[in-house]
Amino acid sequence: MMRFAPAILSVAVTLGAAFAYFWFLRVPAIRNHPGLYLTGFALGAAIAAVAVWRSARWPNIAALALSVALLVLGAYFNFVFARLPAAGAVLKVGEAAPDFTLPDATGAPVTLASFRDQRPVVLVFYRGYW
Amino acid sequence: MQILAISPDPNERSQTLAQKLRARYRFLADRDLAVTRRYGLVHSRGGPSGEDVPIPTTVVIDRRGVVRWLKIADNYQVRPDPADVARAARGL
Repeated sequence: MMRFAPAILSVAVTLGAAFAYFWFLRVPAIRNHPGLYLTGFALGAAIAAVAVWRSARWPNIAALALSVALLVLGAYFNFVFARLPAAGAVLKVGEAAPDFTLPDATGAPVTLASFRDQRPVVLVFYRGYW
Repeated sequence: MQILAISPDPNERSQTLAQKLRARYRFLADRDLAVTRRYGLVHSRGGPSGEDVPIPTTVVIDRRGVVRWLKIADNYQVRPDPADVARAARGL
């Protein structure tokens, strides 16, 4: 059993990184650094690679395959899939926000300019539930 | 400070979300993304079935209607820390 301690450690680090990222998704310091889970996968792959180099047994190879697969998928997700295009150059700090009127949850119209001289406004554009 | 959350979701679903989160958000429905488009924040064909979706963005506007702080996401996993937004809005 101890012979495969590095393989077990590799799997634990790899899966631990994935679970920890989702578990702490609401913590901005974790969520806003997707590089953390990639670092975990890379660490898992490095441990498994050393284990395979020392002994090419199947548990070591399986641990290496798992961590490399997650590293490749995770890197694709973070660097390609989750990327967003640049926004149009409408919004600039120091310039007026374009006015608008939209219905609220009860259907009542809300106009941005109605908050003028009343209080600051935070606009949050979000993608919704699909 | 007034938080206005804008998405193409229908109003009822936004209302449900607000109640579930017990958030003091006012949810506004931009069904056809007309306002989102005017703000330059449409990710065309960015949705799962190829529909246009908003680029997640947070804008802090002062009492004169001027943009004072802005965060436009370039990776949809990354969203501004609410503490940073609150700091930006404080004292405006």
